[in-house]
Amino acid sequence: MEPYLFYVMAATSVVAALYLIFEKNPVFCALYLVFSFINIAVLYVLLEAQFIAAVQVIVYTGAIMVLFLFVIMLLMVDVKKKQKDDLPFQRIPAMVMGFVLLVVMGLAIKSKLFQGREGEYTSAKVESIGHTQLIGKLLFTDYLLPFEMTSILLFVAVIGAIILAKRKV
Amino acid sequence: MPNTSIMTFNILSILPVLILAGFGMMVLVVDVLSSRKMGEKNFLAYLSLIGVVIAAFLSKNFTGTTLFSFYGAYTIDNYSLFFQFVFLLCAGLTILISKNYVQRENINYGEYYTLILFSTIGMILMASGADLLNIFIGLEIMSISIYILVGMKRTRLTSNEASLKYFLLGAFSTGFLLYGIALVYGATGTISLRQIAVFIAGKGGVLDPLLLAGMGLIIVGIGFKIASAPFHAWVPDVYEGAPTAITAFMAVGPKAAGFAAFLRIFFIAFGQVHQDWEKIIWILAVLTMTTGNIIALIQTNIKRMLAYSSIAHAGYLLIALVAANNMSVSAILFYLLAYLFMNIGAFAIVIVISQKEDSFLKISDFSGLAYKHPRLAIAMTLFLLSMAGIPPTAGFVGKFYIFSSAIKSGYVLLAIIGVINSVIAVFYYLRVTVAMYMRGPEREFQPLTLSPFIFVAIIISIIGTIQLGIFPAKVLEIAQRSILLLR
Amino acid sequence: MLNLVALILLFPLIGSAMNGLFGRRLRKESIGYIACGAIGLSFFISVLVFIGLLLLPPEERIFEKHLFSWIQSGSFNAAVGFQVDPLSSLMILIVTGVGFLIHIYSMGYMHDDKGYHRYFSYLNLFTFSMLLLVLSNNFLLMFVGWEAVGLCSYLLIGFWFEKKSASDAAKKAFVVNRVGDFGFALGIMLIFLTFHSIDFTEVFNAASHGEFAIGNITITLITLLLFMGAAGKSAQIPLYTWLPDAMEGPTPVSALIHAATMVTAGVYMIARCNVLYMLSPFTMTVVASIGATTALFAASIGLMQNDIKRVLAYSTISQLGYMFLACGVGAFTAGIFHLMTHAFFKALLFLGSGSVIHALSGEQDMRKMGGLKNHIPITYKTFLIGTVAIAGIPPFAGFFSKDEILLEAFVRGNVIYWSIGAFAAFLTAFYMFRLLFMTFHGESRVDPHVKEHLHESPRNMTIPLIILAGLSIIGGFWGLPGASALNHFLSPVFGGHGHNEMHGVEAGAHHGIGLPSLMMVVSTLIAIGGIWLAYQMYVKKQELPKKLAERFALPYRILYNKYYVDEIYDAIFVNPVKKISVQLWKKVDAMMIDGSVNGVARFVTGTSNIFRFLQTGYVRNYAFYIVVGCIFILILTTWLNK
Repeated sequence: MEPYLFYVMAATSVVAALYLIFEKNPVFCALYLVFSFINIAVLYVLLEAQFIAAVQVIVYTGAIMVLFLFVIMLLMVDVKKKQKDDLPFQRIPAMVMGFVLLVVMGLAIKSKLFQGREGEYTSAKVESIGHTQLIGKLLFTDYLLPFEMTSILLFVAVIGAIILAKRKV
Repeated sequence: MPNTSIMTFNILSILPVLILAGFGMMVLVVDVLSSRKMGEKNFLAYLSLIGVVIAAFLSKNFTGTTLFSFYGAYTIDNYSLFFQFVFLLCAGLTILISKNYVQRENINYGEYYTLILFSTIGMILMASGADLLNIFIGLEIMSISIYILVGMKRTRLTSNEASLKYFLLGAFSTGFLLYGIALVYGATGTISLRQIAVFIAGKGGVLDPLLLAGMGLIIVGIGFKIASAPFHAWVPDVYEGAPTAITAFMAVGPKAAGFAAFLRIFFIAFGQVHQDWEKIIWILAVLTMTTGNIIALIQTNIKRMLAYSSIAHAGYLLIALVAANNMSVSAILFYLLAYLFMNIGAFAIVIVISQKEDSFLKISDFSGLAYKHPRLAIAMTLFLLSMAGIPPTAGFVGKFYIFSSAIKSGYVLLAIIGVINSVIAVFYYLRVTVAMYMRGPEREFQPLTLSPFIFVAIIISIIGTIQLGIFPAKVLEIAQRSILLLR
Repeated sequence: MLNLVALILLFPLIGSAMNGLFGRRLRKESIGYIACGAIGLSFFISVLVFIGLLLLPPEERIFEKHLFSWIQSGSFNAAVGFQVDPLSSLMILIVTGVGFLIHIYSMGYMHDDKGYHRYFSYLNLFTFSMLLLVLSNNFLLMFVGWEAVGLCSYLLIGFWFEKKSASDAAKKAFVVNRVGDFGFALGIMLIFLTFHSIDFTEVFNAASHGEFAIGNITITLITLLLFMGAAGKSAQIPLYTWLPDAMEGPTPVSALIHAATMVTAGVYMIARCNVLYMLSPFTMTVVASIGATTALFAASIGLMQNDIKRVLAYSTISQLGYMFLACGVGAFTAGIFHLMTHAFFKALLFLGSGSVIHALSGEQDMRKMGGLKNHIPITYKTFLIGTVAIAGIPPFAGFFSKDEILLEAFVRGNVIYWSIGAFAAFLTAFYMFRLLFMTFHGESRVDPHVKEHLHESPRNMTIPLIILAGLSIIGGFWGLPGASALNHFLSPVFGGHGHNEMHGVEAGAHHGIGLPSLMMVVSTLIAIGGIWLAYQMYVKKQELPKKLAERFALPYRILYNKYYVDEIYDAIFVNPVKKISVQLWKKVDAMMIDGSVNGVARFVTGTSNIFRFLQTGYVRNYAFYIVVGCIFILILTTWLNK
């Protein structure tokens, strides 16, 4: 049953993403994105990455996208106004290049040129320890420093947001 | 491979980082608590300077020790300590040249200094990181701080524009770097540099396509930070728009940090597959030097000229990277230190010469400086000669070692191209000198307001430039000791 | 005492830095005292070092002071170190001694100049550089000093840069010297490639231990390249044209740099490398021939010049030619001996001419002088001593040194060298006395306005003149033929070949006992002949020169116009290069101006079209370059991996 679920979810998320691009109303766009994210979260579950699936739903769909929606509504973007296309001549080359990229990626996958390597934490090992436990343990041992340093990174981002967006100059 | 059991959680090892972070936040808080007017908050500079000095002393205490802390994620060795010294010196000198500048330009925010300290943390992480993740996080801390610093002067359009450009392109290039790291992880199953080396050794030094692609993308990501061609296009615009003191900072700090990471990744992780990347870097080096020097020839704005010159310097440094012998590592360390002094010195003088709102930045605005302010002109000449690589200055010795290391590894053609490039470079550096000495003043020079801070910065730069030029042996010896553990 | 050697260099450097950095705020007296004090201390230490060297037994008279390694990379070791041996100790005495006197003189001469502190800063810097040149213990450091004296010379020739002729002369000196320096630099590289060292001791030891046969091609090439540098710095054919123009600088500068010290650096360098030169007979022949030719050539030009300093300049070139002649025939001691005496009397003559110019409020044309001997008696008397010394009348200094060169040229070289030298000596005596007679004797042709202000120079100018006059009288006794103390003193440097004792004895046996004495008589007679002719022409029958000039119009014009060498050089070298560079400049300029006019966005200000096209200022374009670069790198990685 799992493969079918995968194909269904994958197809739905791609369709949602396409809707996201072609939809004119930004609120709908955001909602399609939420939909796509949730589909991806299911894919994570299928990969036995429950923790990431949960984080995906809680952080991306729950927090960030809701914030997005609020911002869109507060800004009240005029839906009707048609944007002028500054670079019309890029349209055709972009399509061609996108297609070429798709083909190249397909070929690369088909040729099995890019062979990954199984790392230290195989799915069996993860299962035996427990997914969340393992992440927690790694975050506070092997990856303690980057984890803590990320706090500085976020702090810097906050400073940036304040200083660059502060109303009074 | 060091034993896991000794890779303890050693908080003392990141003490300099903690001090910088602590002082950074202290500056923020004190700024808010103080009721003084913005232009009068001198203590912001004092406080951050104290932080830098303490951090420098603490990091000096580690000299000679080698340890891996945080479960092997953070390395302290002479190599990273040398870089820590360069970064802290860079931050200290930047604060010195900033104090009056930010007051003049009305951007004396606490955040200004905080961000300088935080970006220094990022640089230290890049130089000390023993795995790709740490290097990446360090790079992000450094970059984001600098994006903000560039846009600090919000009332000026060029500053905003520079910040946005740098941010967009920086984020773009970070994408490449992260993708590269992901591919490398996918291919090897590890992010630790040493483990990657072990993996490659296990494969008999042959890289599979996934790893090769990852390596190529890492080159792109870091190449952007060190302003290597063809990832350099942002440099002139951003350098020109950024507040001048920040331009000085970002011309040295990120470049040095980028090279620190570059060297560690490519000498430790990819050291055995030198033949797979040397040609790429070879081409990048030639491209970078030549582009930088040729375009610098026709610049009229001093900041843009120095921007292109900084691109060219990245090219010289890449030569040593290609050579990849022990001598080239010490040559890079030495050159970066020399570049720190001459570059910050030159920018300090640009700050002194320019007026409010960063006006008077054309090369023609330097005309006749020698008659009005002969000592400034002498100092500027010294820095420019050093950048041009004329003995007995630091720049000459640095170039000498870089080219010798290239010749030592058999890259004679590359060394010749480098020498030709430095000959070309002499022209545009001399243009400024000629303007200062051989032309009449084209404008009224304001009476000099040389604050003690910037004066000290200029003096330190002069001493550094001359000291490294005449007595290079000692520093070089330190630099040579700093490479032992790299391979 | 020898350990103090670094101090000799330190004092002038400090003096230069003090005057250069703070001179503007100092009083004139302080500036002068700082500069003179620095050189005075330096001279004092030099004397101490010299005494310290004398106290050692002759064979141990070499002392190396290694300060620090400058650049070390593989076998290449560029050290900063000094070498004190008889040759360099003699040179530092000359440089600091004569330099000290000239500094004192300058205090009077430059007193009213607004660039007073600049002048002394440069002058001290020059002394420092010259000392670096003579004291260095390796080729690279010597080259650093070599370039530094060139730079100071450039700065001092163009000291009055507001005057176009001065800045042009400075440029000319700079460019002509670059030609020579290029040769020198190549020579040093070749030395390193051949000997794997640039240290004097190592190179000369290797060379003298028979690794290289006499006439070795590499050694010949090295010595020729070094000689190219020497010819540039010491103003020999064909690179001499800058020196007469260099007289645009202040007169004490001409005395110090362009007569006593810097221009002799070439001779010093060849004497220093005597071991190498002795290995290449071909180069020696070249050196001797060029020296002899220059001696005659410059002397002949000196006959017809009317500018007092230019006559002295050509005379300097001619005397330098003698020194090269001496080196070329292997008589290095004689060359250095003449270098020393020449430093005394030529500095005296230049300073004397400076005193004359000072008295005449800046007049340099001898046709507007005359009859000055009673107005400025001290200058006249000292000048007379200098003139007699250069003309070669015993027992003045110039006699002994020139006589020794002529003798050596005869004994070791051939009759041609001797006869050229002797004829040049005749011309020298003639033009120097012509100068003396035209300036100090006869009727006064001085402008009446100027005449009112005629005055003897102040004491700080006359005292150096008197001291130098004394040295010009007694300076020669150190190198008296037969019992030459100088020969003995310098013999450790020049080994078995540099001094003339052995050859002299041999020569005596060959040519009869009285050869040295005979030569002395002959050269005295030659000198007297020249003086007599000058007396006839410029005192007795003053209409004679004019008649001769009319009679021999063509030779006169050629000599008067200095063989048109400047014009020829201009036509062959200077003008084509100038044309090309003007074209280039026009193109570049057009491009830059064009750029700034058309550059709508500030991003493209002043950039050429191609770069304007690339540096659009659009983020999307920059991102595109990144992508292109990335694709390029990815292709390379896979392609190279195949």
